[in-house]
Amino acid sequence: MLPPFQVITPKNIHEASVELRRLGEKAVVYAGGAELVLLLRFGMIHPEYLVNVKRTPGLNEIAWNGETVQIGATITHHRLETDPVIREHLPLLAAAESQIANIRVRSQGTLGGNLCFNDPHSDPGTALLVYDTSVRLANEHHRREMPVGEFLVGMYSTALEPGELLENVLIKPLPKGWGTSYLRVHHHQRPTLNVGVAAKIKDGTVEQARLAVGCVGPIPRRLSELEMKIKGLTIDDAKRVISESKSYLYNLLEPVEDILGSVNYKLYMTGVLLNRGLSRASA
Amino acid sequence: MSNDGQRIATLQNVGIEVTVNGQYWKGDVPAEEVLLEFLRNRLRLTGAKRSCESQVCGACTVLVDDCPVSACSYLALEVNEKRIITIEGLASGDRLDPLQAAFVRNVGAQCGFCTPGQIMAAKALLIENPSPTREQVTEWMKGNLCRCGCYSAIAQSVLEAAEQYKRGANWKSKDPACA
Repeated sequence: MLPPFQVITPKNIHEASVELRRLGEKAVVYAGGAELVLLLRFGMIHPEYLVNVKRTPGLNEIAWNGETVQIGATITHHRLETDPVIREHLPLLAAAESQIANIRVRSQGTLGGNLCFNDPHSDPGTALLVYDTSVRLANEHHRREMPVGEFLVGMYSTALEPGELLENVLIKPLPKGWGTSYLRVHHHQRPTLNVGVAAKIKDGTVEQARLAVGCVGPIPRRLSELEMKIKGLTIDDAKRVISESKSYLYNLLEPVEDILGSVNYKLYMTGVLLNRGLSRASA
Repeated sequence: MSNDGQRIATLQNVGIEVTVNGQYWKGDVPAEEVLLEFLRNRLRLTGAKRSCESQVCGACTVLVDDCPVSACSYLALEVNEKRIITIEGLASGDRLDPLQAAFVRNVGAQCGFCTPGQIMAAKALLIENPSPTREQVTEWMKGNLCRCGCYSAIAQSVLEAAEQYKRGANWKSKDPACA
């Protein structure tokens, strides 16, 4: 049984924003409920109102204009793992989406809901960081865009201001000639840790690489410095550099010891998965 | 309809229209009612089971517009204007659905508690992908736990049912995107 609440179904984003601002902390956005319903059940939040944006026009479309893929906030994970546009242009995202929890969660949960909840043990954020991804936020007056890395502020917190909603996620596919790999380890449904690797390999040499790691600390991170360090190296040398980067990873990722693993375990496995991801991306 | 499911503390009732196993239902539900309460308490469809209540075990799996969901964690108001299928809606009269028959034939259950959820999850798979490999079956079904450990008999049942559907049945594949 869930505690009682009221549901408001706004006709459009403008109305949703007005309601959220009016109700303040009494309201939460409902975008599918895969995570929200569990929080309600276990008494971790006590909203009086759910603002249901599940059927709000404009949030449920995937569009590709030849340069950017635009994903509406209420697109489900299962749609993302199966959609031909996503599979063709954003294979790493499709791979990450296909590994979320189980098919029921993927049928119910939405990309926008996942990002706004920003659970530290989550799949999509890590994948999105590998791409040039920005999010479009809207309130009743204006829209703004920011890189996804700035949107995911901290554990369970985002850059959303009061009255603001996540409208779309805008993603630029990688250029031709890049390989990608998404890997995770997990004991339960949520990942213990995950990595996204994209690389352009020529004659066994890493011409360019992008590395992202999630779940080790409060938020997923791009490893920009390490990407620069392995640039121009052979794959074997790049792997050695990655294996020797524990202190860099420690400082950047701010690893948290939790029920899923110790700090040492997570850092060790980060290196293992990054190296494995590099091999797969180059295959 | 009785008011059994109603709670004094309810703040809002929401009108819904829904088709459950081919039967039309229209009425009010509390905003906080979940689909499992709706099915079990109002419609007395007790096939879907309450177990983990946290989207992990799959014992409450039912189909909403052919997509599998955890009925325990899905708001009843969400099924407005949608089509629900539960385990009770699979057989036609005395004739078992090929999935049910295959589970019986292969002993795809011991205690049987998870079975309605297993079969509904499998049904969703075969709607989306009529010819799954064993690997695809395992991947899709891994979110449905069986504490008796009947996994290999379950996988075998799903594969056999897929063959049977293709041989006989009135089969229609659908748009795979659960929205």
